[in-house]
Amino acid sequence: MEKKFGVYICKGCGIGEAIDLEKLRKRVALKGKVPADIIKEHQVLCSPEGLEFIKNDIKEGTNTLILGACSPRVKTNEFDFPGTITERVNLREFVAWTQEPMSAEAQSLADDYMVMGIIKTQKGDLPEPSIQPDLSNAILVVGGGTAGLSAALEAANAGYQVTLVEKEAELGGWGAKLYKETPRQHPFDKLEDPKVFARIKEVEAHQNIKVFKSSVIEKTDGQPGLLDVTIRKNGNSETIKVGSVVMATGWKPYDPSKLEYLGYGKPNVITNVQMEEMAKKGKITRPSDGKEAKKVAFIQCAGSRDANHLPYCSAFCCATSLKQAKYVREKSDDAIAMIFYKDIRTPGQTELFYKNMQNDPGVLLTKAEVTGISDAGNGNLFVEADNTLLGEKIKVEADLVVLATGIVPSTRAPQEYLDGLTEAGKKGDVAKKEYLDNTPKPEFILNLAYKQGPEIPTLEGAYGFADSGFICFQYETRRTGVYAAGCVKQPMTMADATEDAAGAALKAIQCVEHVAKGIAVHPRAWDTTFPDPMMIKCTSCKRCTEECPFSAIEEDAKGTPFYKLNRCRRCGTCMGACPERIVSFKDFSVDMVGSMIKSIEVDEDEFRIIVLACENDAYPALDSAAIKRIKLNPKVRIIPVRCLGSMNLVWVSDAFSRGIDGLILLGCKYGENYQCHFVKGSELANYRFSKVKETLDKLQLESDRCQLLQVAINEYDKLPQMIDDFVTRVEEIGPNPFKEF
Amino acid sequence: MADATVVKPDLDFVKGVIASGGDSLKKCYQCATCTVVCNVTPDKNPFPRKEMLWAQWGLKEKFQGNPDVWLCHQCNDCSAYCPRGAKPGEVLGAIRKQTIKQYSAPGALVDIVNKKALMPLIFIIPAVLLAVLLSAAGTFKIHDGDVIFSKFASTHFLQFVFTPALLFGVAVGVMGMRKFWADMKQTNKVYSGDLNASVMATLKDIVGHKKFKQCDVSSDRFVSHFLVFYGFVAAAIATAIGVLYIDILGMESPFSLGYGTPVKIFGNIGAIGIIVGIILMMSNRFKNAEKLGEGSYFDWLLLSIIAIVGISGFLAQLLRVAGVAPIAYPVYFIHLVFVFSLFIYLPFSKLAHMFYRGAAICFNKYSGREAQTQ
Amino acid sequence: MADKKKVLVIGGGFSGLTAAVETAEAGSEVVLVEKTGFLGGRVAQLNKYFPKLCPPNCGLEINYKRIKNNADITFYTLAEVESISGQEGNFNVTVKLNPRFVNDKCTGCNACNEACPVEMPNEFNYGLDKTKAAHIIHNQAFPFKYVIDGKHCKGTSCAKCVEACKYDAIHLDMKPETITLNVASVVLASGWEPYDITKLDNLGGGNIKNVITNMQMERLASPNGPTSGKILRPSDGKEPKNIAFVQCAGSRDENHLPYCSYICCMASLKQATYLREQYPDSTVRIFYIDIRTPGRYEQFYWKVKDDPGVTLTKGKVARLTEAAGGDVELVVEDVLAGNKITEKYDMVVLAAGMVPSTKAAKIPGEISYTHEGFVVPAFLKKGMFAVGSLKSPVDVAKSVQDATGVAIKTIQSARR
Repeated sequence: MEKKFGVYICKGCGIGEAIDLEKLRKRVALKGKVPADIIKEHQVLCSPEGLEFIKNDIKEGTNTLILGACSPRVKTNEFDFPGTITERVNLREFVAWTQEPMSAEAQSLADDYMVMGIIKTQKGDLPEPSIQPDLSNAILVVGGGTAGLSAALEAANAGYQVTLVEKEAELGGWGAKLYKETPRQHPFDKLEDPKVFARIKEVEAHQNIKVFKSSVIEKTDGQPGLLDVTIRKNGNSETIKVGSVVMATGWKPYDPSKLEYLGYGKPNVITNVQMEEMAKKGKITRPSDGKEAKKVAFIQCAGSRDANHLPYCSAFCCATSLKQAKYVREKSDDAIAMIFYKDIRTPGQTELFYKNMQNDPGVLLTKAEVTGISDAGNGNLFVEADNTLLGEKIKVEADLVVLATGIVPSTRAPQEYLDGLTEAGKKGDVAKKEYLDNTPKPEFILNLAYKQGPEIPTLEGAYGFADSGFICFQYETRRTGVYAAGCVKQPMTMADATEDAAGAALKAIQCVEHVAKGIAVHPRAWDTTFPDPMMIKCTSCKRCTEECPFSAIEEDAKGTPFYKLNRCRRCGTCMGACPERIVSFKDFSVDMVGSMIKSIEVDEDEFRIIVLACENDAYPALDSAAIKRIKLNPKVRIIPVRCLGSMNLVWVSDAFSRGIDGLILLGCKYGENYQCHFVKGSELANYRFSKVKETLDKLQLESDRCQLLQVAINEYDKLPQMIDDFVTRVEEIGPNPFKEF
Repeated sequence: MADATVVKPDLDFVKGVIASGGDSLKKCYQCATCTVVCNVTPDKNPFPRKEMLWAQWGLKEKFQGNPDVWLCHQCNDCSAYCPRGAKPGEVLGAIRKQTIKQYSAPGALVDIVNKKALMPLIFIIPAVLLAVLLSAAGTFKIHDGDVIFSKFASTHFLQFVFTPALLFGVAVGVMGMRKFWADMKQTNKVYSGDLNASVMATLKDIVGHKKFKQCDVSSDRFVSHFLVFYGFVAAAIATAIGVLYIDILGMESPFSLGYGTPVKIFGNIGAIGIIVGIILMMSNRFKNAEKLGEGSYFDWLLLSIIAIVGISGFLAQLLRVAGVAPIAYPVYFIHLVFVFSLFIYLPFSKLAHMFYRGAAICFNKYSGREAQTQ
Repeated sequence: MADKKKVLVIGGGFSGLTAAVETAEAGSEVVLVEKTGFLGGRVAQLNKYFPKLCPPNCGLEINYKRIKNNADITFYTLAEVESISGQEGNFNVTVKLNPRFVNDKCTGCNACNEACPVEMPNEFNYGLDKTKAAHIIHNQAFPFKYVIDGKHCKGTSCAKCVEACKYDAIHLDMKPETITLNVASVVLASGWEPYDITKLDNLGGGNIKNVITNMQMERLASPNGPTSGKILRPSDGKEPKNIAFVQCAGSRDENHLPYCSYICCMASLKQATYLREQYPDSTVRIFYIDIRTPGRYEQFYWKVKDDPGVTLTKGKVARLTEAAGGDVELVVEDVLAGNKITEKYDMVVLAAGMVPSTKAAKIPGEISYTHEGFVVPAFLKKGMFAVGSLKSPVDVAKSVQDATGVAIKTIQSARR
């Protein structure tokens, strides 16, 4: 596109009173190298008249607009000019509302921002989406339990072709093994027959769904829209093409053999899973002698909520035991069911179920810490418990003990295996080989042929659950196009898993729809730009393939990286990682930001500090401070970046070699509860920076001049002070020694 | 470490409590709201939360010699605030009934009072007995002329029949109370042990209706119980004066002393107190039935007997003055029958609370628990 | 697959926002209507989310950005649905648009707020402070457009704001308008209200100054709240150092809300961290019936429990009274110890429960509700869907799952 520039400066909202626009115009023309006559002012640029003013120029051919007005976070509808490159320079929030009006500092700040805006448009271009040929919009659902069936049906009913892969011979999962279900609807008073069989029928009869039973996934290769999935069934393999994946592979009961202290191993101690089987068969009897069980003890949290076993709550066992207590009572009116709980957890409306179930003379409950199960003779058992409501230390006789064992996600075993492999790998090839030879390989699920490993990486501290890590975005995933649902993600009830799976199915169809349009998926779900590397300069250092949070970059046989673009989320981490600076987006590149940095006016007597601010959280926080009219340090120049992960080290040298005195990397909080929308942008930026610290020090450029600050979006009240503190520290260090050059 | 207590759930006990008025028992989920809103419970090991759990688990031995279930005056603050719709007041009432059953002998009478189906026996036995005795005395008929009740049942007859009945009732009650006291001593720690002072303090509490004043939700129960209680006290005083006239002063009934005499004053004040009080009690029950429980058969039986005693007595007097002999004598007979029932069934009916509750309050002082926890 | 048919989402809280953006990003056109002047709903009032302790505005900001960048989403604020008729594929909905008295020319410059002479209780802060009739709820509000409260504004007789506005953005004579929408499906997402604590007579009935609700606590702790994030007790602005949390204040209680409100255990544990972080010398005691931290939330519970400044006691607080000096006296049975205890606190926080907004304000249309005001999903007309706390009390995470799940059902409706 041949650019025709237009620079517009708004005088409203105090900008006109804070900045000498005449001076600004001269400086911008000079430094931005644009003719002075294209720099125009308007009283209120966002008013209908102001917009008309701009649109008239667009009609005349102006296609590259630099708007010196308010923050790009506001007035987005008004300043939307399709087909143009529009750069919004935040004169209102970052100058007019936060600086001393008509001060030399405000003036120089406005100059720099306007010039940077112009340079940004000069270096950028209009994006055009990259759409790959032969895309598939079919959905693969892995797992045929409650969640998998729901996902398959929802996607199929929305008009998509679905392939459902189930490892067992029959569909239904745990839901098909139940005698009765806990009710999902008001008034929550009766046990219900399992609903799963109707769903199975529906799935098997659905014209959009193809079911593979007794099947596993051998390999998943490619990228969203172009995933080649090899399914193995009875020794035969078949490869199908799908667009995206719902992973609903569910859970396994916690291994009860680890619960010896709760009596597992004794004939009359069973698990809640065995209880379902027994109830389904008919009578509730003691395994030891087949006698009908009359005094049944339920031990809640058998393994769950236990630091030695499962340090989480398995979410449904309380309701399950209440339900099974009802089985006991239904079968015999003189039987009692005793429930020993830590806390009864029947959240939400399930409370009504608790209330209804406990209102039975033979259902007895007490809070208790069960310490052990001992023999009471005749096959009977003593439940021994401390801190109960019945006394500090008690013993109750039972003829059958049911352990409410918790859940382990199907992703846990592969994750642990892979973690072990990584650990072994760190110790060297010998250790790695030894590990591979000696460790039994668990069943893998997706077998992704991805550089960064065969399964979805699970979160730190998530015990193998394929959880998203975001409260607001429950389907965030590090493997684009693969969405987890149901108990593989979080412990949940069947009702919740059904809803959750519908959500995952939606994300899966969203993914194929976006891929078809060449748009990124969440969180940049509007972005049509993409990383476009100048491969000729690639040295195959592989930093990009390692640092990409989404494993979007593979290596060919020669070790040269290449993009699987549909896996890419456009965070720019590769751009930041690349030492050769070859990765660019149409509207964001190393050169662009470098040039902006270099355009900043550096005065020998003045300190200049650059803030590279993450546009997701740090930038809105700065804006919010401005809305509160909290003064921002006039020495700083804020440059937004997609994510701090896109921070390229060359910018550090660009800044310091130009005489910039300090650099703040302003990003999200990192660590276990990271807030970065691209997983670890700020952490990576910090890591990269730490690598050059030594070099900086050697150059007598104190590395303390650059610092990463972690900030949350709501810390705008503290942020200006954090910046001031940093500026003060830099002033203490003194001016950049490179200034004079 | 202490040895574990063996807990033995008894489903039959649970069902028993449910059947005898504690049907909300199973709703309790141990939040302890009841204990907090209860104004009469001590702070240490307070009730009724723990009693609810014991009853849910059918731990009947926990109620052996348990003073707490009697410290409860069933003011029903607990039931009003219970978040689950359980009615601890009613449940403890049902448990109290079990206690009465346990401590009162002979058992046959317990059953008569407790079983709805046997209700007629409560009236028929005394009615037949009195009819036979009065017929034997030759006075069982409607007498001509002015209505004079001593023609129907002479004062000596009354003394002869009612004194033993009352003594029987009191004796059984006291015996039960003694057993209860012994059990309490066995199952509870006694810190203080000053019996005389405890008895005096207990009487003071009872006279002043101290516990009732602490209720929030059904504070009107203070008034009704106060009226009924002092109604009976006044009636007793009237009776005592009567005895004084007859046995000490040698006067003969009818005394024809007019309405200004102590006998009449106390008698009528008593009757009005009982009638007004009992009507209040009944209407309170109806008013709060949904939230606090409508009360068990056991409760209603006692309320009804007292109501009939009060009303029939007062009515008999009116009919006497009006001179309506054909109705006056039968009403008087009914009055006598119900007074007799009241006396004879005293230790088996809810009225037995005077023994057990009195004992429990006294024990609470005697053991030192009250002083220690307040 | 592009869908011509539109989807209506009623409610602009986190559930509604999620349903709207997820639906739109899957290819349907969406109309979102919100009763208040701003999107974001209850979560915008929260200081932090459990268990990550991250600020809700972070996710909101992303969702606002998704709306700004998506031409398929239209939204109306101050909009109330007046009627819904028709069936799946062809619902006719009339929506009343209440006047904002501020038009799109508003730049957010704050001049009207400075000029406005009328003070009113700040509902966004649950009455903990005052705001002006011309206001914006907070500095990250979306849309970033001021609103004039019609109930409190003195109207054209005052008009100081009109004079102050340089952009011709204020028109005090704006009238309500009614628009009609034709949509293929309707998502009900009108959210929840905190339980009215004046009904809890034994807990002070809202008359004890230093007994606040959990939502008020969020506002006190929020940087954009009435105290700029410093937690101070309302009566005298003292720093509370000894604080009790009363769980199930209204919830799990037949006399009030018979269900469990799901979020309160985690919310109080979270708020304990606010206090402990702000006042390291403070002590917090949480009184509960059952601690309900399902799934991996258990880890958060352990973390808070391990703080020596936090004590958890099983027992429901059933009596609160005002004590001397503004303190609050609390009575509870420590159930495991078997003691009735009476203690004084600087401030008490009631974990007030969630009431579906449809308890008080029914959505017009043939919709079945439970006695507690929850929508019964099984009885909803085809093409109508309820999400989030309208069905059962849920947290944000579950609302997001549910709202995303409902999005696929709206797509199905649009394509049928």
